Amino acid sequence: MDDALFFEAFDGHTAFGGAETTLDRLLRGESALAATPVVPEGQAEAVPLAAATPLALTTPPRWWPLLSDLVADIPGEGWGTRGRPVFLAGSNFGIDRLYEMGRGSAPDAQADSWATVHGIVRHLRDRFGWGPLIQPVSHACVSAQVALSLAAEWMEAGAAEKALVLSFDYIGPFVSAGFHSLKILNAGFPGPYEDRAIGSIGLGDGAAWAVLSRKPSPWRLVARSSWNEMHHFTANEAGGSGFRAVLEPLSPHLGGRPLWIKGHGTGTLEAGRLEATAVAARFPGAPLVSWKGGLGHTLGSCALVELVLAARGHERGRLPGTVGTRGPTFTPEVATEPFAPPARSDILLLCNAFGGAHGALLLRHEN
Amino acid sequence: MLKDELKQLLVEALRLEDVDPASIADDEPLFGGGLDLDSIDALELVLQLEKTYGIKIGSSEESRAALASINVLAEYIERHRSATSASVKG
Repeated sequence: MDDALFFEAFDGHTAFGGAETTLDRLLRGESALAATPVVPEGQAEAVPLAAATPLALTTPPRWWPLLSDLVADIPGEGWGTRGRPVFLAGSNFGIDRLYEMGRGSAPDAQADSWATVHGIVRHLRDRFGWGPLIQPVSHACVSAQVALSLAAEWMEAGAAEKALVLSFDYIGPFVSAGFHSLKILNAGFPGPYEDRAIGSIGLGDGAAWAVLSRKPSPWRLVARSSWNEMHHFTANEAGGSGFRAVLEPLSPHLGGRPLWIKGHGTGTLEAGRLEATAVAARFPGAPLVSWKGGLGHTLGSCALVELVLAARGHERGRLPGTVGTRGPTFTPEVATEPFAPPARSDILLLCNAFGGAHGALLLRHEN
Repeated sequence: MLKDELKQLLVEALRLEDVDPASIADDEPLFGGGLDLDSIDALELVLQLEKTYGIKIGSSEESRAALASINVLAEYIERHRSATSASVKG
């Protein structure tokens, strides 16, 4: 157990609010998604978006007070200094300001300070007194997953005594318009893993943090895995090889314990079918759930936001079902209603991204 | 003729310099066939079709179905052009 890694503390929020509030609402089958114009101007199509605050472009950005409140509760000192690195994950750093610039906004040095990763890191350092050892990680929707893996590698390599992973993605017009142009964000509301004619995703605000440590705590990071199909930017390999490949390295760590699976499940049909099928084939009977029909896809932050919710729900002994999914599902393992985690079960957390990227984490509650 | 127009648009929008529009058969699969098109090509094509014919293709599933072949695409455009025109007339 000497080389074991633990989550010493973690927390997060969504458009619903804090982690506990989010779980309460999801357990009631509620969705934070609301039909919202994809961009503020003109007669834009209304698509499912879940924003914690009104979608306005402001300086500082509308999300800064939300993120600041979350970060203020992170325990420990010396973050960003030697031995205590920060891994900052997100998929759209500064994109709102770039959108404004593209719309012909006037030059504004204060607004521009939020337009780059460097600028956002400076704001975090100024506000929270962090040191310079802050590693931005931006790999589309597996950003937080990659940041967690990197933090674990630093710990294992002896480069960190503790590591803080902070992830955030707050939606805005550039992002919603981008997904809309890809035809996967439309007027339909998402029903992850539902076998229906037209798929759609929703997008949502989400941020979370976790402190990784060697200090034993109830939550152990048992194993992690990543895989890239190297197939195509916007499409998975049609046989589902990537969805299977990311699961295999975890096999030696399973130890015959039961599992429940928090899948990626955005609401797109093809990826949802491939994921559900791969998981059911490898872990028949293990409940599979996605919460993106209730929260929207929190993009680069989804791996950590959903880890926090999975762990807190597991502690409660009651987990939300796949909100938004009402019809037949791709596999019978998809949990559409709230359920209790199987006794002594591990949690398998899955995450995917453009480019055929896959990530998996195996989490164990050591009680 | 709409089908010839669509073949020309496909070749121009996707810069298929080695493809003669007339060589594309009306029932030839546009994807997974000899043209070797991928999902980025599909997006480019959908955007161009929306702009040229004033139609709206709402989802990736709808675009996949509409782009099955020149025959299917022509039928889709005729149907949706009529629908748009009818709704405008009120």
